[in-house]
Amino acid sequence: MMFMQYVWLIPLIPALCFAIVGFFGNKMGHKMHEGGFLVIAGTAASFILALLVTLEYTGLIGEGGYYPDAYSYSIDWFSLGGYTITIGYYIDILSCLMMLFASFISTMIFTYSLGYMHDQGVRQRRYFAEVALFLTGMLGLAVSSTLLEMFIFWEVMGLCSYLLIGFWSFNHPEGDDKADNAASAAKKAFLVTRLGDVCLMGGLFVLFFAMDGHLEYSYVFNAHNLAAANQDMLFLAALLIFGGVIGKSAQFPLLDWLPDAMAGPTTVSALIHAATMVKAGVYLVARCYPLFILEPNMMLFVAVIGGFTAFFAATMAMNNMNIKKVLAYSTLSQLGYMFLSLGAGGYLMATSMHVDGGAVVIDNMHLFTAGALGYSAGCLHMVNHAFFKALLFLCSGSVIHANGTEDMRLMGGLLKLMPKTAITMLVGTLSIAGFPLFAGFFSKDLVLDVVFEVFEETADFAQVIFVILWVLGIVTAFMTAFYMFRLWFMTFMGNYRGGAHGHCHGESPANMTVPLMILAVFAFAAGFILFLGWEGVMTFRFQFGNFYVGGGEREIGLDVLIELFTNAKTYITIVLVFVAIGLAYLMYVKKSINPGKFNKNGQSALYRTISNRYYFPELYNQLSWKLGYGIAKGVDFFDKQVIDGSVNGLSNSVVGGGDLMSKAQSGNLHTYAAVVLGGVVVLFVAAVVLFAQLGGLF
Amino acid sequence: MIALEYFLAFGAILFVIGAYGVMAKPNTLIVLMCTELMLNAANINFVAFSAFMGDVYGQVMVIMTISIAAAEVAVGIAILLNAYKVRKTTSADDLTSMRW
Repeated sequence: MMFMQYVWLIPLIPALCFAIVGFFGNKMGHKMHEGGFLVIAGTAASFILALLVTLEYTGLIGEGGYYPDAYSYSIDWFSLGGYTITIGYYIDILSCLMMLFASFISTMIFTYSLGYMHDQGVRQRRYFAEVALFLTGMLGLAVSSTLLEMFIFWEVMGLCSYLLIGFWSFNHPEGDDKADNAASAAKKAFLVTRLGDVCLMGGLFVLFFAMDGHLEYSYVFNAHNLAAANQDMLFLAALLIFGGVIGKSAQFPLLDWLPDAMAGPTTVSALIHAATMVKAGVYLVARCYPLFILEPNMMLFVAVIGGFTAFFAATMAMNNMNIKKVLAYSTLSQLGYMFLSLGAGGYLMATSMHVDGGAVVIDNMHLFTAGALGYSAGCLHMVNHAFFKALLFLCSGSVIHANGTEDMRLMGGLLKLMPKTAITMLVGTLSIAGFPLFAGFFSKDLVLDVVFEVFEETADFAQVIFVILWVLGIVTAFMTAFYMFRLWFMTFMGNYRGGAHGHCHGESPANMTVPLMILAVFAFAAGFILFLGWEGVMTFRFQFGNFYVGGGEREIGLDVLIELFTNAKTYITIVLVFVAIGLAYLMYVKKSINPGKFNKNGQSALYRTISNRYYFPELYNQLSWKLGYGIAKGVDFFDKQVIDGSVNGLSNSVVGGGDLMSKAQSGNLHTYAAVVLGGVVVLFVAAVVLFAQLGGLF
Repeated sequence: MIALEYFLAFGAILFVIGAYGVMAKPNTLIVLMCTELMLNAANINFVAFSAFMGDVYGQVMVIMTISIAAAEVAVGIAILLNAYKVRKTTSADDLTSMRW
């Protein structure tokens, strides 16, 4: 063991950066970007360590790896009653994956931030300290060995998202309205995710009691322990944990905070959407897979939420004019794909096994293995999405940086003015749209493939659901290609429409464009990891009576590609993608089709519904005003009248009584003497009477 | 030998006189003296019982009472003298500032 015992350093390094920059960043001066260089160096160090750990875990360096067995180490943290809570680290291929892409993309984003945030002056210190803490949360979450530890880092991320979304909640460069907007967006993000976190915490409590006071991964996700526990309790725990996931990953119905979160700096959006935060939800589902697949309905629920969100969010991206908001909706939509994939694969697994007499029994190994493809596809899409979404956000940041606006109606023709940004963004757009051979194409197609396979393998009610989900997925793929190319065409093609309102500063500096180029390479090529046997490495298996992540057969080679292109369904998506790109081209470049025709120039009911985000913010407001305010008024009444009343009454009676009794303290010596003597006489008489009654003392 | 009852009656009369003085006399100096009367009433009881029972414990108690009474009077008169310096009076009815 060379590096694996130092895994705890991976989250610790950013944490130290946070502390150092937070306390001393102002002393580092502007040349150090108020500590920005230190944070980048720390993040890069974390990435290198994560890479070394991954290599050692998989056995590529050092003596023999642990893969696919998890390597974990923990120490006792504290004891409560008969329960001992441990803290430590837990490495399997999933943790390695999370550490790697989170730290790598964060390094890119932080480097880019040097250019993007350079005009913020001393506030860069706050920015870099907070993003370092954010990364600590994500890396800590990835290496945690117990669900409780994971939950702590989960909350650290919640806090950092609040701080960073509200980064401009005062002294906003564009005025006080924007500052108020940022403050309320931060509050919304915090409160909405809090709703999910309460569910998650409840789920952990239920799991804690169902599992006899254990929350360690190695215990909780052990097949024997799972089978021995109360299955109803486990189902409840899984449901509540997924509630937390819905909040964190902004799935339906808690999706509305993410578009508002665009009020933060664009780099923060990139961080939240690509490397951290929303990916934590996907990670949690993948991590809790052994728990979730015990109940088919649980996985069906995950798939339905994911598939519906994918479609629902994509519709809202169709007509939005804000370049960042379109990307925000596309994140929701792509996250939906991930959950759809994890849910569909898990459903297949869940139906192919059952719990009997304290053991997990696999009825149909073939189906179980087929379901594992959903796991691979979901994780692959998570990684690909991390790359292309980081790239897209950073590109949009570059565009916003140069134009000073987020409104796509005031852009256009930027291809000539900022070619590097335009080309790298085109790579990201092609990737997310699922253009053949780009990263997004492979993972998205794999996801749709899994959903279709589940549809073929199941029956009755579930079959109907999965065919609907498959169609939704296909339609979403079409819409994704359309709205992403709408975005790209509106921004980079045609003539510059900024007019008198502004002007384009031209291409961004090198410390912004170089990260873009590096990310563009990955956004294009990340899908080729499939040919290196991804499906075998990043899989979920049942062997020797227990669940394993990874350890399947690795098929190195182009079989995947051949399989993909001999499959007729692949061509459906390819054709739809091309049609969507063509449609976007005709509408927004050639302008031979007027988009206004379909929506009565923005007056149709559908258009307005979508523009108003299906009245979700309205619904939240109404709920909080009518329900929240009503309850608050009731509570206020109860507080003021009943609680305050009783407390005040008690204190008043004590004060009054004290006043009354204090009159006895006359200060007159004779009175005191008389009272003392009278008391002695009364006692004496009482004693005599008592003795007489009892017949004497002796 | 004089009967025990006479001693007890004498003690009781002395005690009542003392108690009356404590409660009724306005002059605080008199009140102090009256407390001495009450203490000595108790002493007479002690001595009488001691002689009657034929042991010395009662007399030991009297020695203790006398010494404590001496200390108490020293403190009491010191307080009284200071009070007189400040307030120019020793009337118990006027020295009532320690109250609500």
